[in-house]
Amino acid sequence: MKKEFTPRITSFLCKWCSYTGADLAGTARLQYPTSIIPIQVMCSSRVDPVFLIKAFLSGSDGVLIGGCHPGDCHYETGNYHARRRFAIVMGVFDSLGLESQRLKLSWISASEGPKFARVANEYTEEIMALGENPTRKSIFL
Amino acid sequence: MSSIIIDTSASRGVTELLRFLLESGKIDAAITMRNDPENNTYDLGLITDASNLDEAVPLIPVMTVNAGQALSSISISRKKIAVVLKPCELRAFVELVKREKGSLENLLTISYTCGGVFPLDTVITEQIEELLPKYKKIILNGEIPVNTRDTCRTCEHFIPMNADITVSVIGECKPGAGCVMYLNTEKAEDFAEDFAGERSDRKFDPSALKKTLDARLAEKEKLFASITKDGPGLDRLLDTFGKCVGCHGCSSVCPICYCLLCDFESANFDYNLPYFEEHLSRKGALRLPPDTIFFHLGRLTHMSFSCVGCGMCSDVCPVDIPVAAVFKKTGEKTAALFDYLPGRDVEESIPVMVYKEEEFPDIG
Amino acid sequence: MTKQPAKESKKSVLVLGAGIAGIQASLDLAEMGVEVHLIEDTPTIGGRMPQLDKTFPTNDCSMCILAPKMSECVRHPLITLHIMSSLKEISGTPGNFICRVTERAKYVDPVKCVACGLCEEKCPVKIEDEFDMGLRKTKAISRYFLQSIPSEYTINKDHCLYLTKGVCKLCEKVCPTGAINYEDTDREIDLNVGAVILATGIDPFDPIGFGQFGYHRYSNVVTSLEFERMLSASGPFGGHVERASDGEAPKRLAFIQCVGSRDEGIDRNYCSSACCMFAIKQSIIAKEHSKELEASIFYMDIRAFGKDFDKYYDKAENQYGVQFKRSKIADITELPDGNLELKYTYENGDIQHEIFDMVVLSIGLQPRQESRRLAEDLDIRLNRFGFCHSDTFHPLKTSREGVFVCGAMNNPKDIPESVISASGAVANAVRLLDLDRHDVSVGESASVEKDVIGERPRVGVFVCHCGINIAGVVDVKNVAEFANGLENVEHSEDVMYACSTDCLETIKQRIEEHGLNRVVVAACTPRTHEPLFRDTISEAGLNPYLFEMANIRDQCSWAHMNEPEMATEKSRDLVEMGVSKARGLVPLARLPIDIDPEALVIGGGLAGMTAALSIADAGHDVYLIEREGVLGGNMRDIFFSFDDTDPQQFLKQTIERVENHDRISVFLNSRIEEIAGYVGNFRTMFVNGAGDREELTHGAVIVATGGTEHETSEYLCGSSSRVVTQKEFERMLHEGKFPAGKLKEVVMVQCVGSREEGRMYCSRICCSKAVKNALELRKKKSRANIYFAYRDIRTYGFAEEYYSELRDRGALFFRYTLENKPQVEKIRPDDPDSRIRVTVFDPVLEKDVVIDADLLVLATAIDAPEDNINLAKMLKIPLNSDGLFLEAHVKLRPVDFATEGIFVCGLAHSPKDMSESLAQAKAAGSRALTFLKKNSILAEGTIAEVRTDRCTGCGYCEEVCAYAAIEVDASEGVAVINDALCKGCGACVASCRCGALDLRGFTNEQLFSVFNSLEMETSEGL
Repeated sequence: MKKEFTPRITSFLCKWCSYTGADLAGTARLQYPTSIIPIQVMCSSRVDPVFLIKAFLSGSDGVLIGGCHPGDCHYETGNYHARRRFAIVMGVFDSLGLESQRLKLSWISASEGPKFARVANEYTEEIMALGENPTRKSIFL
Repeated sequence: MSSIIIDTSASRGVTELLRFLLESGKIDAAITMRNDPENNTYDLGLITDASNLDEAVPLIPVMTVNAGQALSSISISRKKIAVVLKPCELRAFVELVKREKGSLENLLTISYTCGGVFPLDTVITEQIEELLPKYKKIILNGEIPVNTRDTCRTCEHFIPMNADITVSVIGECKPGAGCVMYLNTEKAEDFAEDFAGERSDRKFDPSALKKTLDARLAEKEKLFASITKDGPGLDRLLDTFGKCVGCHGCSSVCPICYCLLCDFESANFDYNLPYFEEHLSRKGALRLPPDTIFFHLGRLTHMSFSCVGCGMCSDVCPVDIPVAAVFKKTGEKTAALFDYLPGRDVEESIPVMVYKEEEFPDIG
Repeated sequence: MTKQPAKESKKSVLVLGAGIAGIQASLDLAEMGVEVHLIEDTPTIGGRMPQLDKTFPTNDCSMCILAPKMSECVRHPLITLHIMSSLKEISGTPGNFICRVTERAKYVDPVKCVACGLCEEKCPVKIEDEFDMGLRKTKAISRYFLQSIPSEYTINKDHCLYLTKGVCKLCEKVCPTGAINYEDTDREIDLNVGAVILATGIDPFDPIGFGQFGYHRYSNVVTSLEFERMLSASGPFGGHVERASDGEAPKRLAFIQCVGSRDEGIDRNYCSSACCMFAIKQSIIAKEHSKELEASIFYMDIRAFGKDFDKYYDKAENQYGVQFKRSKIADITELPDGNLELKYTYENGDIQHEIFDMVVLSIGLQPRQESRRLAEDLDIRLNRFGFCHSDTFHPLKTSREGVFVCGAMNNPKDIPESVISASGAVANAVRLLDLDRHDVSVGESASVEKDVIGERPRVGVFVCHCGINIAGVVDVKNVAEFANGLENVEHSEDVMYACSTDCLETIKQRIEEHGLNRVVVAACTPRTHEPLFRDTISEAGLNPYLFEMANIRDQCSWAHMNEPEMATEKSRDLVEMGVSKARGLVPLARLPIDIDPEALVIGGGLAGMTAALSIADAGHDVYLIEREGVLGGNMRDIFFSFDDTDPQQFLKQTIERVENHDRISVFLNSRIEEIAGYVGNFRTMFVNGAGDREELTHGAVIVATGGTEHETSEYLCGSSSRVVTQKEFERMLHEGKFPAGKLKEVVMVQCVGSREEGRMYCSRICCSKAVKNALELRKKKSRANIYFAYRDIRTYGFAEEYYSELRDRGALFFRYTLENKPQVEKIRPDDPDSRIRVTVFDPVLEKDVVIDADLLVLATAIDAPEDNINLAKMLKIPLNSDGLFLEAHVKLRPVDFATEGIFVCGLAHSPKDMSESLAQAKAAGSRALTFLKKNSILAEGTIAEVRTDRCTGCGYCEEVCAYAAIEVDASEGVAVINDALCKGCGACVASCRCGALDLRGFTNEQLFSVFNSLEMETSEGL
């Protein structure tokens, strides 16, 4: 039987801003889909580019990194590094024609509960439109 | 900065310079390509005795190992060494120096306008000497020899960047015009002092190589188009890398892959039973060894922006994956994100080590 | 009335007010080992900052930077928080005060309340939300704001139906934990403390009834604080600015400056110091929200005097296109469509009319309403505006000995100034205490830690109902059962409230019964509850790092209230991920790092000496290294102050105290060659006055290298005896000797070298200094005509009054622009003593004015010493683009560097006046003492580690580390991590290509296993 497609969005959220923002979205009872699967990291700069690739190849329909806004990083400069690394992975995906829309980086501050919910909603919709990640089906990855 | 013109072939001119440097004690060793007549092969030789220079073929269009990679550990010694490198090898070495994997301090770098090298299987199966006359004719004419490496035929950085000495090989070095060496640095002037040859203040003129450049750029477009000709996406990726046997030969010959143990061979990806069980329960099948595609994607993110396009990886691939072409294409894209050109300048920071506060406005 | 048992007063301090200043003061004190009683009037700590959306000039999110400090404060074992409390009386003597505090009834038992919010949902009484400036409603039982700390609810007794009318009790009915207590009463307690720090902050000016601006009469006129809440993503409109009249987003925005500031008419003849930047920030943020929005700022002078403020001003004007209109608002009229017509006058008298959609009143800061009563109760003096009185050289002291002041309570301040004054006030308070160096331990774990290494993982899972907060949506029992089936899960159960005392006991029991060696709690957020559970498993003998949380409430049940099945599935995933991570967890240790008790102070000016005294008075040896042959620095050239205190007298006393202090060693004519080491363990080589090399070891470093006067040849400086700098002029005033016999015409030119290409910053003090010197000239009975050529007069704070006085006493002010600077020439070109002809354009009369000046006084910029760069390299600390030392965080860590154990104060940080230097120097001393007062500090458990066998020493990690915590050892060719400096962000780990680095507690393997465990079924079911 065909199940309804439920996207899975592996979401790396930095402890100080985006994870807190996500908590705030909950506290304010802002609703967003269950597709967002949060993983707390200390800083967006902890997200090794290969995490994105691995998550993508193991079937995540989307991979989200949430970090403090540029200039706000709890660790001074971590998000600047995260941004460069993300740009590289995007570049690799684009040049190989892989769906780079399945990767997303978003700056969400600790007070941006509504933004977190918005990003969660919009990104889920975007992923729904893309459909299931073909890597889910591909057994030989 | 001056130039030296010697009335001999470029190859012999460079050999003579090395001989002079060794004999005068200005260097302790020379690194150059050598012909091993007994075994009918070529190799990269580290030579301390000038008499061994008889076998030197410094400009032979063969790369058995990226000399930049080979130089990495040697250069840290206190010995003064002159080394003849292809432009991409010098660039690779500069990339390594940025990563504390070598030092330019005691080196005299000699490089040349490069016509490209023959793939290793050509070296093994054919008599290079027989191919050489035609090769020389083609490259002097600003054209591209068909049987050289993919990445050589499409290489636009064939003029050495920041070599101490540039030897003119393609373009203006017509037969009988002698060997022209451009001394680009103070260091080159010091070393070449007292070396015989006519001095002039002739400057290197890259415009003479316009034809070569145009030809290569056109060739590059063709190559890049060919690797995506069946359309983009995951399927294409599987087609390209699907035959990978996971030998990791590409990374072991890659000059930029300097890690002692590749991350992708490390315990991080040394899966235990639960991983296999989980994966199998999900998908019902698993390719062994796992993670071959992951390996290539990972390596692309790790080092593509520093890829100099030397082509070693494609040469050693047992299943003929066009690794070098893919890396070159992706590398150009990732480097361009930061206006970076690998090997251009030792002072140019590696993109992932630095950042700008305001960049990539579309991200985030 | 309950009596607190008499504590040792010499080891405790009372801090009144838990805004950012109070929080900072409390944290600094607590870190020195002082017991702190933090008294707060409202139900939450945080003060004004949580109301702010962003902070200037970095646009930092206010809550992001504050929240960690709030949690740290509330969790600190030495800080006792008294919310809804006030200080009534101080008796006793400094060092031994008795403070009477009233704690008001909360009607909710904070121990039982789990902040589920059911009570608020059901409460029928809607009242105006104070936090959101009345822009939305809250209930009679509520939290002050969503991220309040402490998070427990309180009842507003003036509005509660039961407490006012004896009916309702709905909250009691729905409260799942029985936390409501209508019988709660006010309590009085007496606290025995050694010192008191007041930090009650300010109120915003209330423009109701304030004439022409129509606030509350016109619906689209709002205050800047209301506008800030509108901008805030967590504000009443979710960050969408709306007009009250029609809900439309405004397209044309006007900011009116100085509403309630710089206004003699209403007895507010002071500058509120922060509003210009506040308006600039709001205009930038508003434009970021909506690109087509137009913003105009109506102002008298733009007072962007702080570090990097002018660059921000420039960015607003030139990058964002904010219109700056120097004019006076004559009138505002509301049009039928709700738009507002502004009538304003430019300085040349031109009258303009312009229509705006919304008007923001940049309201000033004023003393708290209750400060008069407080001053009476506590017997402290206020100044004539009602701010707490303090003088130039004692900026953090009240009139009562042993009672100190910080934050904006004694003059209007922005956030960093408040933080600085808070740390500074601590240095004063510490003088009255008797503190020993102390050891820091992790928790009070009684039991010995079990060794779990080598054991098979035995995971225990506890799934929390949180009343109906989770269980109302998620099938908690199902999740617990599911967890039971996971590999390595030894025990799993669902619990009502995981954080309740009973359940914590249950967890401990289960650890014992089942031999658990890893614990996963699926409940709320680790942000608030992880510490509690870690302590709990620690009490049961497990290393606290063998714990993992799955956030199935804040990020699951609350966010997916209408999808119970999906939420249950997601909860299962989150629990499975938690278990996967837990399997790989290993015990982590926080290793002690010994701290040398001595401090090194670099620079013997006012700041350096003050910092040295603060530390030495607290019982620590200080080495003070000064490059020159004398102490005193720039202060040797300062002779006057506004409040007629004598700078030279104060300097003399300070130098004497330093020289005679038995804990301070002064090294004059000395030059530092090398500083190695890290927090607690620095080693400094220097060449002393005799030319010998000496070595010092110390635990902290204070950088107080000062600033230098900008050297210029502009305006004939250096080529005429009639052209002098303000510094030279001040000495002339002091000595009574001027180049001309009698001064008839004196011209002062401001901003010489400042605020222009090459030095895009305001030197901050020159306006006040020029005003001070001009007034001094008047005091000398000079009848000279005084002319100012200025760009903006930036006499912020109380200096504004002196600026008005000077205007009243006949000085003339001509504003010039960069394009039209004053022109100067010698009347007799070849005579170095010739009078100077100054031509300056008068924008009021719109024509040139020519003055033949007897004396031309230049307010030259303050430069960063060139040598800063060498020191920056030695200490591995950054400089900003102006060559000034760059602190760890411009708002909340204004005297710290990112590299721990190093602090900055005085002009080395940025231009500032004597009071500000004093405050910052004390702050630097205090911050250093937070380390020096400890025998050792504990390195973080979550830090990076190197596998040397795999490291190639490429140096990526060294480059990306913001804390200089990782370095490639040149001889070994491998990276080495300094545990003391590592903050555990993991930036280096993700930069490592070789897999040689890892982050303890967040290892690659752990993170991979977390997302590998995510179920990714394909819909087509292969």
